[in-house]
Amino acid sequence: MNDVQLFGVGVGLLARVLVGTVWVVAGVLKLPAPEDNVRVVRAYHLLPEGIVPVVGHGLPVLEILVGLCLLLGLLTRVAAVLSALLLLAFAIGVGSAWARGLSIECGCFGGGAGPAANAQAKYPWEIARDLGLLLLSAWLVGRPRTPWATDNRLLPVLAATETETRAS
Amino acid sequence: MTRKKSTATRRAESQAAAARASEIRKAQERQERRRRTLVVTAVGVAVLAIVLVLGYLVQSSRDTTGRAATVPAGAVGGYAVPAGPASAPVTVVVYEDFMCPYCGQFEAATRSTLQKKVDAGKVRLEYHVLNFLDRSSTTDYSTRSANALAVVLDTSGPTVAKKFHDLLYEHQPQEGSAGLSDAQLVDYAVQAGAPRAAVQTGVKNRTYEQWVKNVTDQASKDGVNGTPTVKIDGRTVAYQTLPELAAKVEKAVG
Repeated sequence: MNDVQLFGVGVGLLARVLVGTVWVVAGVLKLPAPEDNVRVVRAYHLLPEGIVPVVGHGLPVLEILVGLCLLLGLLTRVAAVLSALLLLAFAIGVGSAWARGLSIECGCFGGGAGPAANAQAKYPWEIARDLGLLLLSAWLVGRPRTPWATDNRLLPVLAATETETRAS
Repeated sequence: MTRKKSTATRRAESQAAAARASEIRKAQERQERRRRTLVVTAVGVAVLAIVLVLGYLVQSSRDTTGRAATVPAGAVGGYAVPAGPASAPVTVVVYEDFMCPYCGQFEAATRSTLQKKVDAGKVRLEYHVLNFLDRSSTTDYSTRSANALAVVLDTSGPTVAKKFHDLLYEHQPQEGSAGLSDAQLVDYAVQAGAPRAAVQTGVKNRTYEQWVKNVTDQASKDGVNGTPTVKIDGRTVAYQTLPELAAKVEKAVG
């Protein structure tokens, strides 16, 4: 394996572990208080009231599933696509709250809906974090094959990635 | 023209045939790998979708928000604890959580002015007491204290309830602590003028717990995302700092 390939494998593993861990932690922290999540979702004033509770109750579960898939390397590409879409949606949500001058808690890691002191100062960091994780997710969408992944046992190697994986 | 092919030609033809066969085999293998990837992915996605729906149903069933609740007698509009006459020229609606330190500061800063205006019949106060800071105490103090306020309102009316409300802010526990105990809540209720026996049961049983949840949910639907939020005659007071909020409220009630 040459340096470039080693770099690729490193980035892929880092992306899986880092993004996967963030999703699992974010989801688990939200599980204990379903009513809080509903209020956090509502506070963004972006979704119609009819689907606010559905998102509030379903999102933490989806986050944990996406995170576990990434950590296990299970259906990596599907999980990475979902991860990227969610992060894009979150960045847009926080950005729009910022643009509209709302002072709300991100609610990204549970809690939230509380008094949002310094909300305006936190928004840029929250967006930056989301975009960073989005980049790592996008990497996995493009190159979902990594070592120590369940996919390697389940999915046959496709022609395009054949030589690459054999080399590793 | 000869019917007999040279050895070289025959060899070339058989090599070409072998190459074609190998091409076809490889194409078939590619197709098979692709098919397998699709099947495995589809099955995996289906399993995950089922887990997602189950998880959603569990979360949904754990959230009792909006279910029918016993409303304490004397609550106005179904959700608020009132003070002062409904006919007062200015209505000040306050959204608070007994655990919220800023609410304590707001109360301390505006209490005497507002109380004077209420006593003079110039201001009507309506308190929406929320429980969204339950995780800021170790004992769900927000829920317990808001429930206690509802119990006192129900048993002893708005004047005693207002006194009890003020006492709880004067003895506000630290954020992150266990909060006041149920026994202390009962003691303050008695100090405010409520009968001990009636309050004790309601505090212990959390009679109005579901009502408190619904008050919190309604506040969120009304666009309240933090406490204290103050609406004067229906308009939310915008503020950056607490002294600013207190000043604006005092000015508005003039």
